Amino acid sequence: MSADVVLAARGLTLVYGEGPRRVRAVDGLELEVRRGEFVGLVGPSGSGKSSLLFLLAGLRRPTAGHVELLSRRLDDAPDRNAEARRRHVGFVFQEPFLVPYLSVRENALVAALDADAGPRVEALAARVGVTPLLDERPHRLSGGERQRAGLLRALVNAPDLVLADEPTAFLDHPTGHAVMDVLRAEVGRAALVVVTHDPEMLAGADRVLHLRDGALEAAPGPSTTC
Amino acid sequence: MLPAVVVQALVTALVLAVVTPLTGFGATVEANLRPLTVYTAVTPMSRADFDEGLSALLDANPALERRVQAKALWMRTPMVVGESFTMLVALRADEHADFLRRVGNRLVEGVLPAPGTDGAAIHADVARARRMKVGDAFGRLVDLEDATPGRFTVTGIVDGPSRVGLVDFDYAAMPTFVLSRIESFQVVYAKPGRKAESDAYLNAAKDEAGRPALRVWDEAFWRKRTEKMLENLPTILNAVVGSISVIVALVVVLLALIAFQARSDEFALLLAVGITRRRLAAKVLLEHLLCAGAALLLGLGLGYGFLAWWDVAVLRPKAILIDFFAPYPLALAATLPLVAAAASAAILTLRLRRMDPVAILQRRNA
Repeated sequence: MSADVVLAARGLTLVYGEGPRRVRAVDGLELEVRRGEFVGLVGPSGSGKSSLLFLLAGLRRPTAGHVELLSRRLDDAPDRNAEARRRHVGFVFQEPFLVPYLSVRENALVAALDADAGPRVEALAARVGVTPLLDERPHRLSGGERQRAGLLRALVNAPDLVLADEPTAFLDHPTGHAVMDVLRAEVGRAALVVVTHDPEMLAGADRVLHLRDGALEAAPGPSTTC
Repeated sequence: MLPAVVVQALVTALVLAVVTPLTGFGATVEANLRPLTVYTAVTPMSRADFDEGLSALLDANPALERRVQAKALWMRTPMVVGESFTMLVALRADEHADFLRRVGNRLVEGVLPAPGTDGAAIHADVARARRMKVGDAFGRLVDLEDATPGRFTVTGIVDGPSRVGLVDFDYAAMPTFVLSRIESFQVVYAKPGRKAESDAYLNAAKDEAGRPALRVWDEAFWRKRTEKMLENLPTILNAVVGSISVIVALVVVLLALIAFQARSDEFALLLAVGITRRRLAAKVLLEHLLCAGAALLLGLGLGYGFLAWWDVAVLRPKAILIDFFAPYPLALAATLPLVAAAASAAILTLRLRRMDPVAILQRRNA
């Protein structure tokens, strides 16, 4: 495995439910994502995109296979991956999930690794475009501003891997593009995996993977399949 | 969290406000016992009166300063539950001023009882509790329900730390009181700093047959008797406050679960971004401890505020003394928020351990 592989999935499988309701959300998936790579993940609803993203983040226990983050195998027990997730993974959710009683700045700092992350948050806020909002509470923010605040929290530890689950789903097109511009800017030093229904948001992606019934439709390669 | 803090604070205040006056029996008893730190009362153990032999025995006390003949009557005083009885010491008129000085009291209104009259100088607490003033009469000849035999007229009010009043010895020696079996006793004043020695002598004194000669009504005797009378009170209070604590803990746990449900997104998010469950549990525990602390402070503030008002408006006028900062009610009141905090933190930690952050995040995204 190449040293610049940030994320690898080996035979990754997730099965849930029993009997006739048994679903193979992810089915023996093989994947490698390198530093500086922007990978798009598309597929119909229920194809397993979000489940895959949670598996890649070490948030779900795989039924079979495993995930490697920076060449280190993630533990099957999600709780044991907490430190690795906090240190190396930035997760952008479809719904930004901001803690309502904390300011934007404090929301960013809840995940910060070190106590003196304040200046880093300030610098990052300028890049993400939320400097004037740093002391605002989430209920005063628009949808786009909330998503940017979510980005700020995801990027505060300069993660090696950024996973984004439909980050523009609730945003208008201009705001969605602005959010994607921030994410793309991270690609230089990190790997970026974005799940989306909107192909427009994947402009500039190095690869676009199609997921159907938990499996990739085409083998992952350097060409864009979108 | 605010409703939980308010509930705990109100119940803490309630426990404090209810338990403190109930333990106030102690404070009232202390006021009644205070005179016995100055003198000791003795009566004959088996003889009708102090004969020469008993008098000689008393005079042989090496710690004796002097002794004074006296009689004791009791004046009813209402309490929170039932009544207490305040002593009216019958002394000869020339002993009154010295007695008052020794027990730390002073005449604040009217005059001391004149020789051979039914005059009584009663303590200000008792006067307030029974709504009596100079010129009022009391006793069984005035009111059949009264515990004090005969008839007395209030001529003066004394005030001070010792809850005791004075009547005239000669008047109390009249046949009416003899029929009421008002016992004669001797007030024994010990030499300065030698009261314990004097009491030990009196307790050990034997008659010619080697039997105890004196019945000693000293501070230790009354304290033991009072403690025995009140010994079941803490058991009842513990049971009541324990039950209240359990009920409040259940209410607080319920409120905490509602708050937890409302914050499930927050906890799921924190778990997703890499905060460990242990750290989250510590955060929850800290929050509950802070809430318990806030509830305790608020509750104590409310409780003591209410007690201060109640003391001035209700208890003092009824001569019921309370020990404001008694440790027992304070400990009971403090237990409540701590029990509630521990119970809710334990339940929420269990909920946190079972929480699936992905399920919550996916449900919100759906």
